[in-house]
Parts: sequence; C-alpha cells; structure tokens
Amino acid sequence: MFKQNSPFAYNAKARMKLCGLLCLLAPLCIGVRLFYMQTFLHDELADKAERAIYNYLDEDRLRGNIYDANGHFLAESVRTHSCGISKRYVKDKAKTIDFLSKTLGISKKQIEREWNKHRNFFFVAKKIKPDVYMKILPVLRTPLGQGLDLTPEYERVHPYGDSAIDILGAANSKNLGLSGIEQMFNSEMSQQISKRRAKRARRGELIYDRSLKEERSVGSVYLTLDILAQYYAEQALEKAVKDYEPERGLILVQQPQTGRLLAAASYPRKDGQSLAFQFTYEPGSTFKTIAISSALDAGAVSINDAIDMSGRKWEIARGVVVRDRQHDKDELTIPEIMAVSSNIGAGKIALELGAKNLFYYMKAFGFGTKTDINFNGESKGYILPYNKWTVVDTATKGYGYGIALTPVQLIGAYSAVANGGWLMQPHLVDRIEYADGRTEQKAKTQKIRRVIKQETSDTMKKVLEHVVQEGSGKRARIKGYSVAGKTGTAEKLSQEGGYATRHHVVSFCGFTPIDDPQFTILVVLDNPSKYTFGGTAAAPVFKEVAEGLLSMQGVPPDRPEELQPKPKTPKI
Amino acid sequence: MKLFAIVFAVSVFAFGVVMMRIEINRSGRAIGQLHTEVEVKRARNQYLELEVVRLQSPQSVQAEAAEKLHLRRTPPQNIVVLEE
Repeated sequence: MFKQNSPFAYNAKARMKLCGLLCLLAPLCIGVRLFYMQTFLHDELADKAERAIYNYLDEDRLRGNIYDANGHFLAESVRTHSCGISKRYVKDKAKTIDFLSKTLGISKKQIEREWNKHRNFFFVAKKIKPDVYMKILPVLRTPLGQGLDLTPEYERVHPYGDSAIDILGAANSKNLGLSGIEQMFNSEMSQQISKRRAKRARRGELIYDRSLKEERSVGSVYLTLDILAQYYAEQALEKAVKDYEPERGLILVQQPQTGRLLAAASYPRKDGQSLAFQFTYEPGSTFKTIAISSALDAGAVSINDAIDMSGRKWEIARGVVVRDRQHDKDELTIPEIMAVSSNIGAGKIALELGAKNLFYYMKAFGFGTKTDINFNGESKGYILPYNKWTVVDTATKGYGYGIALTPVQLIGAYSAVANGGWLMQPHLVDRIEYADGRTEQKAKTQKIRRVIKQETSDTMKKVLEHVVQEGSGKRARIKGYSVAGKTGTAEKLSQEGGYATRHHVVSFCGFTPIDDPQFTILVVLDNPSKYTFGGTAAAPVFKEVAEGLLSMQGVPPDRPEELQPKPKTPKI
Repeated sequence: MKLFAIVFAVSVFAFGVVMMRIEINRSGRAIGQLHTEVEVKRARNQYLELEVVRLQSPQSVQAEAAEKLHLRRTPPQNIVVLEE
C-alpha cells in the first residue's frame, strides 16, 4: 500500500517511539497537574488535607484535688462536655432537635426557643455526664450529628456541698482557680497542656500517638481542716445564725499545740471569702485575756492583787468615764475581774503595764501582722503605734477597744495562752502531693516565739477556767471536761461617731481540756439582730462545737468527778 | 534478572512499610477509642466515687441516722475509748 520509503510505511521503531510518547503523556499530564497543585494550590490543599487527617485537641488544663486532713475529697475536677449546635451545618433540624431532646432530657420547645434566639451557634446543654456523652459521640460523624459539637470542659465537684467553700474557693470550667485555696495554689494544682495535633480516622476518632501522652505533674492540696470538725462548726454556726440572726458569724478551731486550723466556718458562706482571715473587728472583752496575761507576765500586777473598784466608776481622763454595772464590789482580784468581765479592772491593769509594754506584747502575740497563711484578702488588723496612744487609748485597749484584729490572730493568741506561752505558726495547708510522687510539706509545727512564760500561761488557764466555772462563760461548761475561756460583747463603731449601743459583736474564745489543750475555739457573731451577750449567745455555741470535737477525737473526760451522780438528799 | 530482584526487593520493602503504617494507624485508632472509653469510664467512676463520699458525709449520715434510726449525737462524756 505504501512505498518502502514513505513515512507511513511500516516502521516498528517509529511506532514504538510514538507509543512511548503516548505512554509518557499521561504521567506528564499528572506531573504537570501535580506541579500546578504543589505550587499554585498548595495552601488550599494543604489546609484541606490538614483538616481531613488531623484533629486539633483543645488546650487543656489538668487540676489536682483538694483533700481534708484525713484524705477526704473536698474538691475534684470531673471531665464533662458541653453540647453546642452550629445551626448552619444542621442537615435536618427536626431530627436533630428530636435526638437532642431525647438524649439530653430537654424539652423540644426549650431547644427550639434557644434555636430561634441565636443566629448560628448556641449551647444546648452544659456539664453533660459521661453516659450522655457516650450516646452523642457516635452520632457526631453521621448526618444526624452534623452541626453538633461537644466541647470538653470540667466541673469542679464538691462532694460535701458548700461545706468549707469559703476556704476552698472556686475554679471555673477551664480548671482555673478563681478564689480561696483554688486560687492561692493555682500554679501548684494546675497543669497546662497546650493545643496538640492528633491524627484522626475517617469517622473522626483519634489515632493514638505517643506524643499525645503528657507526663502529669499536677499537685493535690491536703488541708489541715478536718471535714467532721468543719461540719460541727458549720452546724453550730447555722443554729446560732437561726437563733440570733447576726449579720456575720464565724467559728474557728485550732490545735493549740501545732497551730493547725481544724475548722473555719463563716456566715454568710461565699466562695473563697473566709471571715477567719478577712474580718477585722474590735474584740472587746475577749482581749482582756491578752492584756492581763501581758501584765502578769511583765510583773506589772500579780494574781493576788486587788484592784480598786470604788463606786464601780472610773474617770480615766476628764470626761471619759468607765462604769461596771455587772458587780457591786469595791475591790476585785484578777480572777474576779475576768469572771465579771470588769472594764475598770482591765483598763487599770493596762495602765499599770504601760502603753509601750502593752504594745510590744500585742505585737508579740501576733496582732497587727498578717499570718504566713497569706489567705486571699487576709487583713493584718490595725494597731496604732504606742507613741500615739493617749492614757484613754491605753486603758481602753485593756478591754479590747481601739484595736482591730482578725479572728485568726485572736485564736493564735489564745492558743499561746493554752499551750504554755508559745505563739505557733497557724497552718491551713498540710502538704501538696504531686502526681510524680513528690511531696511538699507545708504544715511543719513551728513555734514563732515565746510570748508569755510557762507560769503565766498556767496562771491564766486557771483564771480562764474560773471565768467558765463562776463567771460570764458558764454556758460554755462541758460536764466532765475542764474548759477555759472568755466572753466578749463589744459595741460597734457607729457611723454617726462614737459607739452604737445597739450594735454588738459578741464572741467567746476558749480551749479544752485545760491541762492538755486539744482545741482552741473562737466563736464570733457580728451584730446579732436580737440583743444578746457573748456569754449567752457565743458561749453555748462554743460548748456545742467543743462537745462535737471531743467526741470526734475521743478525748477522755479530765474531770470525771463531775460525772459521778450526786447523792440524793433524803426528803424530810 | 538482577534488576528484577532489586525491583522485587524494593517492592516487598515498600509493601511492608505500607502494611506497617496501616497496622500502626489501625492500632492507634483502637488505642484512641480505648482511651476515650477509659476517660469516659473514669469520669463515670469519679461521679460514683463522689456520690459515695457524699453519702458518707457527716450531713448525710446524721440525717439518715436521725430520720431512720431516731439517733442523736451523744455528749462526749458518754463515749468510752477502749485502749488497744
């Protein structure tokens, strides 16, 4: 058909070349396309591939727990999820709402109301429990689940309800401490896990990779609080609030030998707002213990001294008169001054001691200084330097006016009287235990300084016992146990100037048993709406808390003779 | 022949690598699923533990004891501590 030399004549070589070229054409096209994609479509495709292959895990923050002294959970983070809807991605609104309504137990109407309220995204439910989460998870990658989103978050759970919440404080759903202990130890308790990339399977499940595993180093905080002691304190405070309707109230319990705080109850109870550290007040007569201990310790007075009370009226300076209406004696000894809570007696003793000495003793007892606890918002109280005091100031300080102190300072001072004269470092946090096994001990028993001599402490214990046995603190008596303490009823400063006779702070501070004190307890009721006194309102609260604590600790009675039945006198 | 052997060896190696990657992904996915399951079960367990703690709390115990057994707290002097 073709001539031999015709270009169309059969030529095997040429045909093979042609076939080869044709075969190369396809890879060439692919190559060109790949080149185009790699250079011109790179960003777009890389982004698509990234989204198809990888999942970005949210930034996460692990958080340790808070325990009481005996290892009971006080706060723990539990992983939960929030379920949200992106309206624009939902395929079938009716079906999706129906599914969510059944799974989450929320009415369809409610979901629809939210649906209509929002433009696109809204949360249907928060803090979803694990069982519900497991029902929604498989649906997410199906048409029904399109537009649904499960956002991981945390719920800070307090198994004891709001017990000790004023100390514990709050943490948010992102595991960030906001107040109280949660905030104070936020860096120790939380671990930030940065946003990580994880490979995902077709249906969105994560493909585990070793790089996803992160070493845990969060710490758990162990408090010195005992949840049972805290319960007794809160229960007693609740009852007192019901009976006397104070504006504020608090009960603080400390171990006098170690300085550990066993309970700190506040009313009103608010996250991270503990009155034990943040409340400052004029203590009134509970401060007489400090002034008289100081005077006895300095040798300014002796226990057998009798103080002149003639007329039960004392003009400290011109126009400043102090009256005692609670007794009719012209002379009182120190135990009697304490028992009847004589302002004249305490004022005169303070003057005997002198402003400078009283000031230094007050400082030594820890007043006017913050404790090392450093609780959020802790106040240091207020004491004016002694060189600015007048005679009236010195005298009034003797019975607890003209100074502002915090409950934790006062209980520390009473503990010093109870334990033989040592001011102890108060502790609220016992230790921090980290996930990697490290333990940081915080509550080491630490004597700050000797404030009064052992003999003074012994004398004061007897004086304070006398207050409870015979004086204003009778209602704090516990059958079978020795109790020492002092009542306080302080008038509050009035906004119009001077003191308001109708507004009081009533209190009681004491310890039990006397020879081997286990607990120092302070009860303060601020501005009770019913007119009352420290001896009538606060002392019974002390008794109630002390009874609970003695039972809790199994402290045997140290006055067993009081438990013996009294012989009946025969009727004549 | 030599070339064929090399191509064959490379192919076998490539196949092995691919199979290994597939297997790693498959087990990674399984581990991922197990992790999710563990996490959910742990959370569920946590809730149960917390419920136990709540039921053991002094508030609950006292309420139950008072309501069901008509018990009340005894004063400390009635408590006898037995020496070990």
